Amino acid sequence: MTDALVTRELCKVYQEGSIQVTAVQPCSVKLSAGEVIGLFGPSGSGKTTLLSILGCILRPTSGELSVFGQEVSQLNENQLPEIRRKYISFIFQAFNLFPALTAFENILLGLRIKGVVGSEAEDRTAKMLQEVGLGHRMHFLPRDMSGGQKQRVAVARALAADCPIILADEPTGNLDISNGRKVMELLKELASEKQCCVVVATHDNRIEDIFDRIVYMEDGFIRRIKRSNA
Amino acid sequence: MGFLVFGVVLSSSVLGVLHLNNKLDSVMFYVAVRILLYDKARSLITLIGVIFAVGLIFNQLGIFLGLMETSSVIIDNTPGDIWITSKNSKNFDFAQPFPEYTRHLVLADNGVQWAEKLIVAWGIINQKEGGTEQLEVVGFNVDTGVGGPWEMKEGSTDLLRNGNFAIIDESAMARLGNISVGEYRDVFSRRLQIVGICKGVKSFTTAPVMYMSFPLAQKLVNYLPSESTVFIIVKVAPGVPVKGVANRLRGLLKGNDVYTKSEFSFKTRYYWAVETGVGFSFLLTIVISFLVGILIVGQTIYNSTMEHIKEFGTLKAMGADNADIYKIIISQAMINALIGYVVSLIITFLTVGLYDAIGMVLSVSWWVNLFVLLLTVCMCIIAAFISIRRIKKIDPAILFRG
Ligand SMILES: Nc1ncnc2c1ncn2[C@@H]1O[C@H](COP(=O)(O)OP(=O)(O)OP(=O)(O)O)[C@@H](O)[C@H]1O
Ligand SMILES: [Mg+2]
Repeated sequence: MTDALVTRELCKVYQEGSIQVTAVQPCSVKLSAGEVIGLFGPSGSGKTTLLSILGCILRPTSGELSVFGQEVSQLNENQLPEIRRKYISFIFQAFNLFPALTAFENILLGLRIKGVVGSEAEDRTAKMLQEVGLGHRMHFLPRDMSGGQKQRVAVARALAADCPIILADEPTGNLDISNGRKVMELLKELASEKQCCVVVATHDNRIEDIFDRIVYMEDGFIRRIKRSNA
Repeated sequence: MGFLVFGVVLSSSVLGVLHLNNKLDSVMFYVAVRILLYDKARSLITLIGVIFAVGLIFNQLGIFLGLMETSSVIIDNTPGDIWITSKNSKNFDFAQPFPEYTRHLVLADNGVQWAEKLIVAWGIINQKEGGTEQLEVVGFNVDTGVGGPWEMKEGSTDLLRNGNFAIIDESAMARLGNISVGEYRDVFSRRLQIVGICKGVKSFTTAPVMYMSFPLAQKLVNYLPSESTVFIIVKVAPGVPVKGVANRLRGLLKGNDVYTKSEFSFKTRYYWAVETGVGFSFLLTIVISFLVGILIVGQTIYNSTMEHIKEFGTLKAMGADNADIYKIIISQAMINALIGYVVSLIITFLTVGLYDAIGMVLSVSWWVNLFVLLLTVCMCIIAAFISIRRIKKIDPAILFRG
């Protein structure tokens, strides 16, 4: 299997005035393409911080990170957007859809940022919306959609660009059990079709069975990595 | 609500074009338009702010330039190249008299083609219903017409030649009531018959202007010493440099000031604009309007940016450069600037007639329009920078807060 994300002694220390908070203790992990990984742990354990570093949004204090074999921990602020554009898509707890744009336009805008243009972008958008079951809601504004539908638009936006890495922070945090499950199952199904590496930070135990691998964090340390038997 | 309709028409036509265009820039412009149309209340407030600020700038600049044009309108419309005044006269309207024989000294220079005397003085006119008004009396050589009215609405200057006759500008009626040709009015307690109405003659002081023959003015204006004039206007012979003649006359006439026509026009404008402080108060209003515009536009765009900060952050997370997002902000500012500008321009054009009716000039010329356009664009771009600074500092952490 191809290594999508590889960390070596990756570590993040926040400097808050004179106080230092080590949000992520040195950790070395390998995450492969086609894998759906759950990142579990109590509040404040460092899940979001680790996810931000893996997503090339936050730079590690020390250690190395490579994305599909490319070393990125030494890159500067101006070089990181290029990496994100090429490899990484995000899904957030609050959906983060432009309220003024329809589902279709929100996805299209994401695609344009990723450099997909022309009728191809529009075709992909339409197809993606069909796949997440929103073919009949294409031209709805976010305010006219339920939370589950909005998160499915966000999933479609993340997947439409064909980026090999999808990072999601608490994607089910604003959804009820059944909608949360539906969104996660959809994400898993579409991601494995495209052989994406998916990392989901969550403390929603009810969706544990969906993941191929589960990483448990506590106080910034990775305590345990469990391979699901399902 | 005409401008709202205009805004919607403009944006939808822009949308139509954009849909076919796939360049990232125009996508960002499209997003900006959608954001503006989505939050109509806020967009309307922004637009009204721009219209208010720009309208005020147009108005103040227009009135100021109108006053400037007015202050030198007689100089600018009088033929000749050189104006001679008494020593230290500050402007056209309040110049002191000097002996009229000076004209002969001037004519002795062989670079001079002709020289004409002109009286500009202050007089009193009796109102029909009693009471008096101040007026500016201009006495000119009727035979040559130099310094006289340049456009007649009714009657002719020829009639001024013999007797107690006068011509009044149509703009004077706002002050003096309706005056028709053939009527009599008392000026300096002397009964004069109005024999013509001219056009386009106004004074900075807003006092009505009355024309009469030079000899009549010399006789009527009681404070002028006998055999004196207020100006001498000189025409330089063809091919002779004006500056050279002016310098020679300066050397010759120790008791006078000698100006080229443009120098004297400028001196008069400068006096009214700068020495009286009138220009400063206009400038102050313009600067304040500009700042208020920045505040209103900056404030509403900033609020909108803050409301969309997570979405902008998401675009950044997906790999958008800051510059991509700046385009959304700048587009919003530019759309407000352009629509607001056009509406203000239309309002300004509509009010020109209104100002004319009350005897004032609202100056609108292409370069004023262009200048205000640049000012408007600057105003909105500066306003956008408040938001751009915020975008630059987006902390990725905001994306992960629920
Ligand atoms: N920007 C920051 N500056 C300083 N400290 C921070 C910052 N962000 C996070 N931390 C600290 O780092 C630690 C890890 O935070 P993080 O947000 O990664 O935890 P988490 O596992 O995502 O928690 P939650 O489940 O509540 O989202 C916490 O102690 C937090 O207070
Ligand atoms: Mg978190």
